[in-house]
Amino acid sequence: MEVETRSSMVYSIGKDGNRFCEVISVKYRRKLFSRRDAYDLKGSDALFWKAARENCAYVYARCPEYRTILDDAGFSPADLQSMEDLARLPFLPTALFKRRRLFTLPRWRLPLVVSSSGTSGRASQIGFTVGDLWAGLKMVLRICRLRKLLSWRPCHYVVLGYQPRHKNRTGVSRTAFGVTLFTPALSRTYALRWKNGDYVLDLEGVQNAIVKHAGSRFPLRFMGFPAYAWFLMKRMEEQGVRVRLPRGSKLMLGGGWKQFYAEQVDKGEFYALAKKVLGLEENQIIEFFGAVEHPIFYNDCTRHHFHVPIYSRILIRDPVSFEPVPNGTPGLVNLISPMDVGTPLLSVMTDDLGILHDGCSCGCGLESPWLELLGRVGLQDIKTCAAGASELLNKVEVTL
Amino acid sequence: MILANGKQYESALQDRLLGELEERINATLAGPGLEPETVIAAIDALGRRVEAGDFDARIAALQIDGAEQYRDLAIRLLRRDHLEFKLRTELGADFRPDYHTAPPAGLPRLRVLARPLGVLLHIAAGNADGLPAFSVAEGLVTGNINILKLPQADNGLSLEILQALLEIEPRLSDYLYVFDTPSSDLAAIQKMAALSDGIVVWGGEAAVAAVRRLAHPGTRLIEWGHRLSFAYLAGPRPEAELRALAEHIVTTKQLLCSSCQVIYLDTEDMGAVRAFCERFWPILEGAALAHRPSTIGAVAELSLRARTDRLEALLDGGAARPWSSPLCSLLPREDSALELSPMFGSVPVKPLPRRRIIPVLRQAKPYLQTAGLGCPAEEREELLKLLVRAGLTRITYPGGMSETIPGEAHDGAYPLRRYLRMVDVALPEVSEAGRKLP
Repeated sequence: MEVETRSSMVYSIGKDGNRFCEVISVKYRRKLFSRRDAYDLKGSDALFWKAARENCAYVYARCPEYRTILDDAGFSPADLQSMEDLARLPFLPTALFKRRRLFTLPRWRLPLVVSSSGTSGRASQIGFTVGDLWAGLKMVLRICRLRKLLSWRPCHYVVLGYQPRHKNRTGVSRTAFGVTLFTPALSRTYALRWKNGDYVLDLEGVQNAIVKHAGSRFPLRFMGFPAYAWFLMKRMEEQGVRVRLPRGSKLMLGGGWKQFYAEQVDKGEFYALAKKVLGLEENQIIEFFGAVEHPIFYNDCTRHHFHVPIYSRILIRDPVSFEPVPNGTPGLVNLISPMDVGTPLLSVMTDDLGILHDGCSCGCGLESPWLELLGRVGLQDIKTCAAGASELLNKVEVTL
Repeated sequence: MILANGKQYESALQDRLLGELEERINATLAGPGLEPETVIAAIDALGRRVEAGDFDARIAALQIDGAEQYRDLAIRLLRRDHLEFKLRTELGADFRPDYHTAPPAGLPRLRVLARPLGVLLHIAAGNADGLPAFSVAEGLVTGNINILKLPQADNGLSLEILQALLEIEPRLSDYLYVFDTPSSDLAAIQKMAALSDGIVVWGGEAAVAAVRRLAHPGTRLIEWGHRLSFAYLAGPRPEAELRALAEHIVTTKQLLCSSCQVIYLDTEDMGAVRAFCERFWPILEGAALAHRPSTIGAVAELSLRARTDRLEALLDGGAARPWSSPLCSLLPREDSALELSPMFGSVPVKPLPRRRIIPVLRQAKPYLQTAGLGCPAEEREELLKLLVRAGLTRITYPGGMSETIPGEAHDGAYPLRRYLRMVDVALPEVSEAGRKLP
């Protein structure tokens, strides 16, 4: 092990006299992403912190902004000597990626640059190297196999999201398309269709496709925003449309509730409606969770909880001191993964509040802890009459 | 939800109700009118219901910091003696004057009647809980018929207050129409405007500009726009005063028109600015810790924003900023411009020697409101005059910038006067004098 460490890292002295290790390859990542058991957190700890150190050193040497931030905090990649040290590693808030373009390679050398969907304001841009994409692919294949999402049996697909086009670089549209590659696709129907220079929501077309495919020999798979699935099923319910989808059909949800927060529905109600109008059982509904800034493939277990896979670790931090808090305590969600070296994503702080629960509290059999998301941070319901304040806070003012 | 003639209607009935509105308004105008006493008695009774706890659950549901204080303030402001004091201050002893002028000998006298403007359209931005109800109450007490377009972000409080008022005094129902028309329904709003003699608009520049575009040029516009306020400190200030200022900054979160956006020091020396920051910092930080936001989401937002700003400044080559924490910060600045602070406990501190008060503040003249003046007693009058000449409409003390003091004007005007018109009635003596007048 030690020999390998030495062979993949070059220790050098930075201009400011700090010692840092320059990594030429990221072999611990390869090992981590090749492991068999995707939820064996304890068994992968040693590999994880080494992969994290390797990632940290690699990015530190190639991304001047990242180096500035670590130097300012007095943290060197070599300081990562155990899992506990991950808590001391400076994190980057996801908002920083919206304000800055942070890459380790010139943009043209990155095979893929993905934008966040940017619910409001500017979108972040995240770069992926070829190696990042391979690691990601291995992870997706492993987890999909586990959840039996891969099959040679062809399917029809309904994407409750954007029709892909060259200019749409958002992570959501790419993920949604990627999911339609899990099995051979017989057809793809998109809810958001590109028409005359704009995306239009075509629930009617989707509904027709569902009714048509319900009589098919092949399963139908949905992929997309939960809110659209909810609107679609509500629409079917109101119009009295009921179908029984072929065996093996699946409803896959991801991308969050977006601007439909107000419509957010109870999960139980959602499953009941899916059963009623589509004839889908609860175990045929799978929810994904991920962020462009933390491209790790989370999906829910049979009890609909998001367990942490080995490619990722989560720290929940106190919102003022940023110190990690014990499991069961709400705080800011800090996501850590050595997957990406195109952009410094090793430790990112989301603007979500969440709770990390002990794995055993789920009961599905997985021992890895699971994440409960409580929602966005925010100064809710701000009322202001200071001149210019509402504009500054990006609040939509009453305009007539 | 629409409220018209004391009844609730579905929003879908808006166009029909708007179509009937002119006829109803004309019928009301032909009637005996609304006496101030009727409205005062109703508001006083409402205040007693608040005092009795009838609205406690509703107030608690608002989840605002310091709700208890707001409740006590509301009880005081709704009382008859306060309402009468307000009317006396703004309109004179008679509330609705009807008198004869007494010109120099030889000139004809006039009978003067102060009467309601007629119909007021209130367009209230959702920038304060219950503000639309307050605006309507001012319209009622001056005897006007009121059409209220609710703000989109309204949380239902205003409608509840107004309904409670109607329960207490059903006679008010002819004087009160509430529509939840969305701002995008321009045709409906234009219709309401066309029925009105005056439009009362609360909100930022965009809202005010939009109302100016849609109103008839002859309609009286009563605009309550957004303002900026600051603290002005001269000479060495006592600890207690700085403590009160810090408390004001963190409790109002700098969100109010009257909140301190900038701390000005009567100096030209940046060294003095930094020395002030050094002294004020522990006081501000202490106040911020004592009043940290009650929800974890708000605290998290503030600290994340502070961390992101800090990292961005670092990447821009800036060193770590002193006097900065997730909950508050002091920002020493070399310029003197009056500007909006980053709010939530972050205050720019700027030099503004007294000889430059007028040229600097004139640059911000559309926004000037309150100055919290802290200075040696013997200099107060001089500084006060300078601030008044620069265009301020409220001069108070650093700690009490946002305190409501009964009898205050609103942004330099008495609102109730603007909701009335003065009617001149010629007396028979003019008819007799006929063409002999010059």
